[in-house]
Amino acid sequence: MIEVTNLRKEFSLSRQQRKELNTTDSKAVAVNGISFTCQPGRIFSLLGPNGAGKTTTMRMLSTIFKPSDGSIKISGIDVSKNPREARKKIGFLTGSTGLYARLTPNELIQYFADLYDIPKNVCAQRKEKLYTLLDMHEFQGKRIGKLSTGMKQKVSICRTMIHDPEVVVFDEPTSGLDVITAENIIKLIRDCKAEGKTVIFSSHIMSEVDLLCDDIAIIHKGNLLYNGTMGDFRENMEAPNLTAEFIRIVNASKLENA
Amino acid sequence: MIFTIFKKELKDTLRDRRTLIMMLVIPVLIFPIILSLFVTVSESFSKEAAEKTIEIGVVGETDNYVISQLELLPESLGKKNITTYKDTAELKAAIKLDSAQIGIYPSPDFDMSMEMKKPAGVTVFFNATDLGMQDRAEAYLETVESIAKQERYLDLEINEEEIRPLEINYSNVASSKEMIGKLAGGFLPYIFIAFGFIGCMYPAIDLFTGEKERGTIETLLTTPVARWQILFGKMGVVVLSGLLASTFALLGLFLSIEVFDIVDNPEILNVIHSVLSPKFILMLFGLLFPLTVFFAGLMIPIAVYAKSFKEAQSIITPLNIIVVLPAMVGFFPGIELNILTACIPIVNIVLATKELIAGTLDGGLVGLSFAVMITLAVLAVIVSYKRFDKETNVVL
Repeated sequence: MIEVTNLRKEFSLSRQQRKELNTTDSKAVAVNGISFTCQPGRIFSLLGPNGAGKTTTMRMLSTIFKPSDGSIKISGIDVSKNPREARKKIGFLTGSTGLYARLTPNELIQYFADLYDIPKNVCAQRKEKLYTLLDMHEFQGKRIGKLSTGMKQKVSICRTMIHDPEVVVFDEPTSGLDVITAENIIKLIRDCKAEGKTVIFSSHIMSEVDLLCDDIAIIHKGNLLYNGTMGDFRENMEAPNLTAEFIRIVNASKLENA
Repeated sequence: MIFTIFKKELKDTLRDRRTLIMMLVIPVLIFPIILSLFVTVSESFSKEAAEKTIEIGVVGETDNYVISQLELLPESLGKKNITTYKDTAELKAAIKLDSAQIGIYPSPDFDMSMEMKKPAGVTVFFNATDLGMQDRAEAYLETVESIAKQERYLDLEINEEEIRPLEINYSNVASSKEMIGKLAGGFLPYIFIAFGFIGCMYPAIDLFTGEKERGTIETLLTTPVARWQILFGKMGVVVLSGLLASTFALLGLFLSIEVFDIVDNPEILNVIHSVLSPKFILMLFGLLFPLTVFFAGLMIPIAVYAKSFKEAQSIITPLNIIVVLPAMVGFFPGIELNILTACIPIVNIVLATKELIAGTLDGGLVGLSFAVMITLAVLAVIVSYKRFDKETNVVL
């Protein structure tokens, strides 16, 4: 389970950044006191236009960034107080996730298994299960740099799941991928849900959100505009479809702030 | 965990062709190439100088005293042909055209001065860009003058020993090892330091900026490994790469003399053998280790800060000049390791290594140099940690 309470993140602005943003403020607020909860066995979608604060929120959930204020609890563990314990519970996958091109999938998976301190026999079992599931046996010994995009994505999925995380964070996981590779990710997200894991993912592709999500939150300029179940969202929609409703909510927020 | 990261990063680094070339191939080849060039060039110079038949142009008649004495000189002083010219203009033109390499012009009153036992004037023309010709001319004319002196002593019935009140002998107490160590010993640490720096450069950029650029650092930061452990694991590989580059330069030196037999000068061989002794290598690496940590500590904050490989390279490459310049201090004879120079980073390592080669090492000053470098290395590690811990520096 993920519990986010009054989460806030500020970044200091350099002189050049202040010039680019045309502001005199020394700090920029990326996330402004948002709260939400993601339940196990459910898929929570975090939506927002570019620069809304989705990736910053995801990075705080994954302990890459420290919150400026507020709290995040992953399976009851406060990520600010005990980030290393929290990390053991999290799997993190992004569309821009890179892999070590000079290693083979076997070497990479073993490396991450070692970093998560997984016993050798447990690692071997999990590896076998994931390799079979993702059909990775054929290229497990080839250098990652020589693999196709789809193969690389499978390696990324395997890397994300090797420590069997309770919470899986997907930040635009299908961004820039072909249909077949994107389908692998969709399948993984569904499998995670079926296994009772807590899943949070952000996407710009509304059809994916419509297809997968149980809960939804919309953020814009760091502020939470909507938080509720997908059922409630559909029921209360003023626009004819999900995309139009999303645009309507974001535009309404822009008008309010203007 | 540090070792797990270190092992993976080392494997990754050793599979990078660019790093391998900079860390292993070039350092191994550098000494064989430099020594081969040095030996070949110096041998060909001395061989050419000894075998070259030079044309001496003389103004005057063939029965001139200088010409007749020059013709009598043995070939051991160098082969020569003598041609007469009618005036100095013709002689100078011949030297400019290289049809004569040395021109000798005895003054018009030369014979009279010789007769009267007065100094007889001789002007020597040569082209200074034609290396070695002045030395040849001096060798010929000093011999001719020596013969003329003997003739005058005989005529004047003078015992040469009676007009030579002092018999001065200059004796050099420095061993050949010390001489080579002090005069040319700066070259070795320069090579080790330069390669130590270059060896660190590519892994530092690849393991920090490269990870950021490729997006792999995010996955690493979500594992239950502390940032300082990630930093130390990576830094270990950067330091090892620098030390490996220096080691391979040393291996190149060993191959040059033991396998390729490039050097046959016994004095230089003696110095190189002492450099390759276990004691020297141990002490050298004792000095190079903190220096390499210092290099890594200089490069890592830059590599962490830079947003792309190109940006990191454009900042670190000029740093190379700042590092190499103090390393060149070792080339200047006369600058020695003292309390002041022992406190200047890089300069202290160069001078200490020079003293080590010369066998004149002062333990206290080496200890001070070591302490200075350790302090700087620790500071560099702290700065690296501060940079690496700053979240906006690590993730794009």
